[in-house]
Amino acid sequence: MGEFTTVGRAEEVAEGQVRPYEVAGQQIAVTRIDGTLHAFSDICTHKACSLSPGETIGTAIECECHGSVFDMTSGAVVEGPATEPVATFGVRDEGGALQIEA
Amino acid sequence: MRVGQTLVIVGASVAGGTAAATLREEGYDGRLVLVGAEELPPYERPPLSKEVLRGEEPAASAFLRPEGWWEEQGIEMRLATRADHLDPQARAVVLDGGERIAFDRAIVATGGRNRRPALPGAGLDGVFDLREIRDAARIQEAARAGGHAVLVGMGFIGAEVAASLRQMGVGVTVVEVFETALYRVLGAEMGRTIEEMHRDHGVDMVFNDTVERFAGTGRVERVVTTRGRAIDCSFAVVGVGTVPVADLMQGRGIGANGGIEVDPQLQTEIPGVFAAGDVASHDHPVFGRIRVEHSDNAVKMGQAAARNVLGRGETFDDPHWFWSDQYDTNIQMAGYAPTWDRMVVRGSLAERSYCAFLLQGQRLRAAVSMNWKRDVRRSFGLIRSQAPIEDKKLADPDVDLRTLVPAGKDA
Repeated sequence: MGEFTTVGRAEEVAEGQVRPYEVAGQQIAVTRIDGTLHAFSDICTHKACSLSPGETIGTAIECECHGSVFDMTSGAVVEGPATEPVATFGVRDEGGALQIEA
Repeated sequence: MRVGQTLVIVGASVAGGTAAATLREEGYDGRLVLVGAEELPPYERPPLSKEVLRGEEPAASAFLRPEGWWEEQGIEMRLATRADHLDPQARAVVLDGGERIAFDRAIVATGGRNRRPALPGAGLDGVFDLREIRDAARIQEAARAGGHAVLVGMGFIGAEVAASLRQMGVGVTVVEVFETALYRVLGAEMGRTIEEMHRDHGVDMVFNDTVERFAGTGRVERVVTTRGRAIDCSFAVVGVGTVPVADLMQGRGIGANGGIEVDPQLQTEIPGVFAAGDVASHDHPVFGRIRVEHSDNAVKMGQAAARNVLGRGETFDDPHWFWSDQYDTNIQMAGYAPTWDRMVVRGSLAERSYCAFLLQGQRLRAAVSMNWKRDVRRSFGLIRSQAPIEDKKLADPDVDLRTLVPAGKDA
């Protein structure tokens, strides 16, 4: 477990949005689903495309390059071609500050 | 289907393997037999012209499921086994050698085979084509030895192999019958954007010419073209299209394009026998009769065929999406446009960053992108619904394509 780093303001991530951040050299995407924040690696495990610009359907996000689909809450692969899950990270709203644990 | 019945899938391909996996995921726990001509379990072919060819990833990374998964799922794997024909009366698949596997329902997913023009010298060592993992291994070995390659044909396979070989430091000359790269799929204007990208990466391209013969002593040393060029080479790769492997139907239910004709729900003229993937000539609700060779289509059709074998009766209306990575460029296409009367571009062809829309009247038939990832997948709804659209909205990058589909018309 790493430490929580403030990356911005929690209100930047509106319901259903996915925003990219960089923490300790890692590209991490943050989304808000039903009010809850979730953070996951923004690098697709298939061919390293950035996931954050992709389409979302419920808790799933689809990679723009080759169509892999991941669950943003667990990192699990929902649909290939990717076979490996993306990492997930702790994320919290600390008095309005958006903090990621990495 | 009930337990106690037998379901046979012919073709341990992406479509066949995906169908088998889907059947288990959907809860079918009856007997399931997967017959495949190759000795390997189902694997994806897109990496064979890219990471696997370049040796960046092992061949096993392309396997659809980990080794052993098929047996764990109780799927009877009959690999290195060719199906000779399908006996519609006896409802049996007859294997080479005469063994018969009786089935209640079947899915044919035998894919395609490469077209190999019968040219003089085509049997020389060092004249390759690319379909199977072992083909990729042979090309990789030749490329590692260095030298110069001649590629015959600049469709997607030729273009991807050209990119991989350049990335490996091999000199490349392409001989292509049409006037530019990918001409048949993308037309001249877009084809030139691909051509120029390859030229920037040092690929030498000869257009409007064909190979007359391969020359050499035992091994290919030179490719001679119809227009009299002689190109020295250390190996050659032929990529001039494929033909469906539909022999097992013995002419029954075969369409003009050589594929097995299936109805909108993927059923052949033999009740209870479905076809999926490259071999299927599908009666598509938007495109009409069509046979495509995309990996994603093989996955989606395999899934749909499996569900329909189980009685779902779903119409397959996928908009047919595929991608191609060449160097650091991502190319995508959705839809089907054998002809179009207008092209509207969002972005810039000259800067090789665009999404081009191919229209027939006010209807979107296909979308093609180069280094413009967002919009091809966003055009699915417009292609499926065939809703009329205005050119200026297509051309405006700020217009979200998904909002142009009328409500209730799919997304």
